[in-house]
Amino acid sequence: MLRRLLLRSPNSISQPLPTSHQLLPPSPKVPFSAWIAAASPAGQPPSSCSHNCRLALRSLRCAAAGGGGTESQPLPNQGMAAQNEKDPRLARISSSIRVIPDFPKKGVLFQDITTLLLDTEAFKDTIDLFVERYKGKGISVVAGIEARGFIFGPPIALAIGAKFVPLRKPNKLPGEVISEEYSLEYGKDVMEMHVGAVQEGERALVIDDLIATGGTLCAAIRLLERVGAHVVECACVIELPELKGRERLGDNPLFILVSG
Amino acid sequence: MSAFRDQDPRIHGIQTKIRVVPDFPREGIMFQDITTLLLDPKAFKDTIDLFVERYKGKNISVVAGIEARGFIFGPPIALAIGAKFVPLRKPKKLPGEVIKEEYVLEYGSDCLEMHVGAVSAGERALVVDDLIATGGTLRAAMNLLERAGAEVVECACVIELPDLKGRERLNGKPLYVLVESH
Repeated sequence: MLRRLLLRSPNSISQPLPTSHQLLPPSPKVPFSAWIAAASPAGQPPSSCSHNCRLALRSLRCAAAGGGGTESQPLPNQGMAAQNEKDPRLARISSSIRVIPDFPKKGVLFQDITTLLLDTEAFKDTIDLFVERYKGKGISVVAGIEARGFIFGPPIALAIGAKFVPLRKPNKLPGEVISEEYSLEYGKDVMEMHVGAVQEGERALVIDDLIATGGTLCAAIRLLERVGAHVVECACVIELPELKGRERLGDNPLFILVSG
Repeated sequence: MSAFRDQDPRIHGIQTKIRVVPDFPREGIMFQDITTLLLDPKAFKDTIDLFVERYKGKNISVVAGIEARGFIFGPPIALAIGAKFVPLRKPKKLPGEVIKEEYVLEYGSDCLEMHVGAVSAGERALVVDDLIATGGTLRAAMNLLERAGAEVVECACVIELPDLKGRERLNGKPLYVLVESH
């Protein structure tokens, strides 16, 4: 029933969004502006919150970790889920994601994963694709970013035998937390993690539904690295490649299922 | 019904993993923190298993989870029993067309939203959250599902605070919890 109400445009697995009568192209004046971070002033010393433009990042990547997997054995097929093998599950996953124009504001094409969650087979396949990649790799932490990372992270954690660590907006986690500030288009936000949730030397994944500019994922990586964990990979269902989040992650590997 | 009363051997392990944080979010409140449960893979798995064992094969096609901690427990249950997962969210988070249900807080009110079309008339649904206190949020969640024509089979929470009598506010709908905290 839901599909009849949708403004549908299938997300392709490896190509940019097609323009069609169903799909409003982004306004040329405000291209994905909701996700583009403001530049930090040149010449200022990097702080924990200044990792908000590619210029600053060339001198201070959000982390210097190289490769996924063990230090000497990166995870195979980094970057795109089974793109080369064209895993048959990806088509259904991709087509189950709904694109909503002008949300949260005009010019933004919002990638809505709630319709994927309504498709039991697609949701199961989504989790399976991540689990197949990460099971048996010595990963003991799955960190999920509030709130949609809470939907995908726990099933993955449960299946691979890892703990789940929620990374939350300020003042949601009770008890002692560490905080990491990061930049938004206008202003800043803060991400928090519980003290003691993660131990030094643990191997971690970061999960979110989507990567846009990569600012949120970078903040998550910094939190985990501050407590001495090794972030093996960031994993998202969707990537918006035009926003170059992958580049912002620097040496941190990114694994995604579909490209928006 | 509480599995605690049934004394399933897994319950003790789950209960000991829940951390109580005093004076959060305000003085006088003993906050039941489930994040420590999530740090124990066996206890977290047992938690999900207890719900799945109860609901599998009961023709439940919808698991609705209340933002945000209901998003942690709901999806694993939904996946295991073959149901869809429907997030119930604070205002303005869900894109597209929604229905809204207002509910009363201690001071003021809040609002829960659900996508139009997520649930069809006649579907059998669970509502999942980490904890039931006064029952206001769960009641709002039930109302949303029933307005869409679904039948709420049961509300399921990890923790109940029985002194707050939330169970009585569920319009006679059953409530299933794993642990109680007085």
